[in-house]
Amino acid sequence: MLKVRVIPTLLWKGFGLVKGVAFNSWRQVGTVLPAIKIYNARDVDEMILMDIEASLLSIEPDGDSIESFAEECSMPLTVGGGINNLEQVQKLLYAGADKVTLNSSLYETPTLINVIASHFGSQCLVASIDVRQNGLGKYQCYSHAGSVPTHKCVVQWAKEVADRGAGEILLTSIDNDGTMQGYDLDLISQVCQSVDIPVIASGGAGKYQDMVDAVQQAGASAVAAASIFHFTEMTPAGAKAALHKVGVPVRKIFASNRGL
Amino acid sequence: MKVAIINYGMGNLGSVRRAFEDLGAETIIASTPDDLLKVDKIVLPGVGAFTQGMARLSAEGWVPALHNAVINRKTPILGICLGMQMLATQGYEGGQTEGLGFIPGEIQKLDNLGCKLRLPHVGWNEVYYPSVGEIFACINSATDFYFVHSYAFVPDSEEYIRAIVNYGTEIVAAIQKSHIFGCQFHPEKSSKAGRQLLKNFLNY
Amino acid sequence: MLKYCVRCVMPQTKPDLHMDTEGVCSACRSFESRKEVDWAQREKELLLLLKKFKSNDSNWDCIVPVSGGKDSTYQVVRMLQLGLNPLCVTSTTCDLSDLGRTNIENIKHLGVDYVEFSPNPLIRAKLNKIGLTEVGDISWPEHVGIFTIPVRAAVQYKVPLIVWGENSQNEYGGPAAAAENNTLTRGWLEEFGGLLGLRVSDLSEVYGIESKFLLPYQYPSDAELQQVGVTGLFLGHYYPWDGLANTLIAQAHGFTSLDKAVEGSMVNYENLDNYQTGIHDYFKFLKFGFSRTTDIACLHLRRGRITRKDALDIVQVRDGKFPWTYLGKSLHDILELLDITVDEFIRICDRFTNKKIFKRDASGALIKDKDGNLEKLNYDNL
Repeated sequence: MLKVRVIPTLLWKGFGLVKGVAFNSWRQVGTVLPAIKIYNARDVDEMILMDIEASLLSIEPDGDSIESFAEECSMPLTVGGGINNLEQVQKLLYAGADKVTLNSSLYETPTLINVIASHFGSQCLVASIDVRQNGLGKYQCYSHAGSVPTHKCVVQWAKEVADRGAGEILLTSIDNDGTMQGYDLDLISQVCQSVDIPVIASGGAGKYQDMVDAVQQAGASAVAAASIFHFTEMTPAGAKAALHKVGVPVRKIFASNRGL
Repeated sequence: MKVAIINYGMGNLGSVRRAFEDLGAETIIASTPDDLLKVDKIVLPGVGAFTQGMARLSAEGWVPALHNAVINRKTPILGICLGMQMLATQGYEGGQTEGLGFIPGEIQKLDNLGCKLRLPHVGWNEVYYPSVGEIFACINSATDFYFVHSYAFVPDSEEYIRAIVNYGTEIVAAIQKSHIFGCQFHPEKSSKAGRQLLKNFLNY
Repeated sequence: MLKYCVRCVMPQTKPDLHMDTEGVCSACRSFESRKEVDWAQREKELLLLLKKFKSNDSNWDCIVPVSGGKDSTYQVVRMLQLGLNPLCVTSTTCDLSDLGRTNIENIKHLGVDYVEFSPNPLIRAKLNKIGLTEVGDISWPEHVGIFTIPVRAAVQYKVPLIVWGENSQNEYGGPAAAAENNTLTRGWLEEFGGLLGLRVSDLSEVYGIESKFLLPYQYPSDAELQQVGVTGLFLGHYYPWDGLANTLIAQAHGFTSLDKAVEGSMVNYENLDNYQTGIHDYFKFLKFGFSRTTDIACLHLRRGRITRKDALDIVQVRDGKFPWTYLGKSLHDILELLDITVDEFIRICDRFTNKKIFKRDASGALIKDKDGNLEKLNYDNL
């Protein structure tokens, strides 16, 4: 049976790791490498590393740094931020990323999804969708680290990216992000119901129950979180234990029966 | 122990190389077919589409070199994910394409095989085997490995199946024909369990 | 390229630091706002607070966490002047220097009851090594111990009030809410106590150190804290904090400084107790592009003692140099305690170096001078 994944997200801005609230008030909290090493030592399911400045500054993905990060990572690493062409995807996969995630560039050039999927396969492409709720309660997609409204409704866009060949969707509620007040279950639910590809819930996790809810109530295939893992005593292992307790299938710890 | 990892432009070479290096093997990234001549083991990684993969292998002259190394000289080979799929006779991703034909079978889309769940099949899933093959030594049945794929290997004979995984339907997770191995999951990304499997391959 | 505060010389990479639209950092702004503080009023508040916690001679009035340094010496002097009977608590540092020992004894002779808790040094060395190799922070166990040991003492001796020195968020900037906070809570520890990444639970679960050996690093439970009513305050909230002023007061009361500026620093009066501090500070430089000299230069610059130009010059001369010695002890000897060679250390350094900040050659390798020192791409805004 496929297990639900618990994925720590590392937000990379400029020279280090950051934490924000609602994609704002970014606070520098450390550097990337130690965080990657820790999560690797804790044997997490996967990791997501997002360069949140790249699209705003139109800079190339930092292949060198990513290579040194990937070196510390023995589980799948998804890398994103400012990716807008095939060569960059190739460079990142070569540097050690297992999957890439694209956001802003997809609104400008949706065919990029088709091209990447046909070249590298859907499985390496995670479409990242950042969402805010507007005054009327409708979910609207935003690009460029939440700064530019696209006027696209999330369900429509999710369907389009899935049809074009994205392998997974990383769905982030901008309003809830960094608040640790819980995921936006309604948002997650709407998207999960409208597509047949896996959806990773992101934005707002504050306690383990939030993750249980995202999976059981809203249908997420995986849960991603940053703030609670960096700043509280909660850990991915704790999250999996909480999920396991209520019957959600999670990865077991491997113990070689004769030792490595 | 010299391990060649084939670089045909489609694959997460970095992770595979690091995994083997951590296990103490001398790894070379094989960029031309001649690189296969003096190695003890071959790894065919792969991330992407079957048609693209085979097109690249053919264009760069890998097909005869692989036949020579694997079939004639009997160099053990491990195909990972797309690499495993290319060991088959043919695949149906993006039209019908011929594979390497090392293990008789074909590649089919998961929903054609009865899987009604979300695709791709991505994440950790339990791998079962009725009896322990060499590649699973020291690994208990029902261990989780990392999968990310939408197509699966359907071998012509059950004798080649070494492990299965369940995702809406039973899927072949690992195959073996003599010294030719394949795993649908990514051992280089499956943490400790994956390391053990790669170690078993090195010890074969 | 690094961006620097236009007023002091702190780069934007400092954790929890903000630059505003004028390019001034939050630490400078925080210092600016000190002018508006009614310090007389603050002192009144402090005295009222202390009165609330003053014991009836059956117990100590407060716990003062001390290291033996200039600030803790000053704190103890202040507490005694205010008529309190403090219980001083030290968590012995990783590699205590002779000067550190001298200054600890000096505090005792100011006339206080003193608890020296020395965590198991063999375990400590293991934790230093794990901290260094896994998160590039050799002082990780020290950061944890500084908070846990005094709080455990508060619970065990049933002394609710802990009097800390400065709220590092106030002087060094940080999100506004925290800068106003004058009590220490578990939430604060988790958010600002440098716990990013490595947790005490990792040590047993991931690195195989049995939990029974990690007791000094465990924070008491919420129930235990509530039973005693443990709370903490920062003296720095009630008195305008200044390291140099503290030093003058401390020296007047027997504190001993070094005879010259400490390696990697520009002053001779702080960080004198732990030989490993040089390594800790160097890694700060590798990760963030600034170190101890920058910190201190900024402090003095804000107080108008040196100009920005002088600060830039001093930083260039002394900041982020490879720590071949610290307080005169060789790197080789310091590392021997952790069973690491100098070559291994250099490899660890390279691994944690934030390559975007430093000069590299055409192949991408870091450029080092004959002493192994790196050079930043820029030492000021261009």
